Amino acid sequence: MIAFERVYKTLGQTKVLQDFSLQAPKNEITCIIGPSGCGKTTMLQLLAGLETPDGGRITGMAGLGLSYVFQEPRLLPWKTVAENVAFVLDDAVTETRKQELIRKYLSLMGLYEYRNSYPKALSGGMKQRLALCRAFAYPHDILLMDEPFKSLDTPLRLGLVRAVAEMWQEKPRTAIIVTHDIVDALLLGHRVVVLSARPAVVLDEIEIDVPLTERNVLQEPLPTKHARMLALLEGENKKYFPGFGNI
Amino acid sequence: MKNSSLLTRGLVPLFGLIFFILLWQLTSGFYHQVVLPSPLEVARSAVKLTAGGQLWEQGGQTIGRGLAGFSLAVLVGLPLGLFIGLSPLISSLLRPLIVGLQVTPLVSWLLLAMIWLGFSKVPSFVVFVTTLPLIIINTIQGVRNIDKQLLQVAQVFQINRARLFREIYLPQVLPYLLAGIITALGTTWKAVAMAEFLSVSTGVGARMAVARINLETADLFAWTFVLVGLGLLTDRLLSHFVNKKLRHWM
Repeated sequence: MIAFERVYKTLGQTKVLQDFSLQAPKNEITCIIGPSGCGKTTMLQLLAGLETPDGGRITGMAGLGLSYVFQEPRLLPWKTVAENVAFVLDDAVTETRKQELIRKYLSLMGLYEYRNSYPKALSGGMKQRLALCRAFAYPHDILLMDEPFKSLDTPLRLGLVRAVAEMWQEKPRTAIIVTHDIVDALLLGHRVVVLSARPAVVLDEIEIDVPLTERNVLQEPLPTKHARMLALLEGENKKYFPGFGNI
Repeated sequence: MKNSSLLTRGLVPLFGLIFFILLWQLTSGFYHQVVLPSPLEVARSAVKLTAGGQLWEQGGQTIGRGLAGFSLAVLVGLPLGLFIGLSPLISSLLRPLIVGLQVTPLVSWLLLAMIWLGFSKVPSFVVFVTTLPLIIINTIQGVRNIDKQLLQVAQVFQINRARLFREIYLPQVLPYLLAGIITALGTTWKAVAMAEFLSVSTGVGARMAVARINLETADLFAWTFVLVGLGLLTDRLLSHFVNKKLRHWM
């Protein structure tokens, strides 16, 4: 179990997290949805050790191998597609395993034929896929993803959602996915945590008891869960933009 | 579009050059050759210097001295620039020194070098002190512009320090360093000739001193063109190398 216990974090002048608590069970996918600016990215950065909490504590991360999909692709422009994946694998696995992993994940993402291209030559969506490759190929116990499918079109997005679901089915691991998209959360989350606007509190934790590979957004219980999430998020909107909906 | 680029890159500058030489030829008719030798006389002088072996002998000396001072500046300036760029403390400690180095008059260095090192090492030393700040400042610039987001990537994926330096820092500093190197090499040939002129009896700068004393103005012109050629050649070669090296990702 990974847990935020009464965490405080201020970035610059902004009190991003105040007395924030959250649990994410081991070997399950927890999706976090919530309004922009409620501190979702900061939560992942705290988990990854890129930021430290001002107060409270984060437990359950010690000794875990961690992989991370950033909101931006964050590729190394002076390395080719294959080299960008190799970059994180060089010290982590043997040479043969490295080549195997590069081939496997580049093929999975449809990037294998571009393995010798530089990121400059890739489209935005391809860059994001390469960032996903890098994170998936890196040996990890826990995967943190910050809006991983943001810049992708719907068919590709759904394809990647399926790919993540299958990877989890093959080897269940802990994952925390921050997303704006309710459909992503419905298809990938064992638990979906809905956050309020800043200062973030957990509005609800919605469990989805359907195996990942059998999920269909049109089939119960997903539409009901969908409606519940929408209602919660809309409620948040009304709180901050009371004029909305009265036009 | 292709035609216009051919026009601006090949033909038009060539016409400009021809026009300039013609103008020079015309003007030189009005003056004594000691004041303004004609292009033809300069060409004759260049052939004489080349055939007599002077060009290679003196030019070689100058190139050797220039490269010695310049290489030392890179060897010292790169690590120093990295240190300064990475540490605010060292940066504030050394800043006055670097600014001082930059604004110290060339002639002071020249005279000090004569006193400290003896005449023979003056040209290399002068090149060293004039190019060092360029290398240091450009390297600092590069370090300051390191992408913090990529440092986070390295941190998350537990890239060790040696690789962090080699694969994250160095590639990002490289374009700045190369820009510094190109500027520094341009300065090198000017500085080395100036120092040779005032301190030693061999090398292009020293031969220019001799040409002046003997009123061989055509020789003076020929040596000047040697220095100009050296500057253009190193600039073109390096720019070509830089483009080839960086065009994939810049």
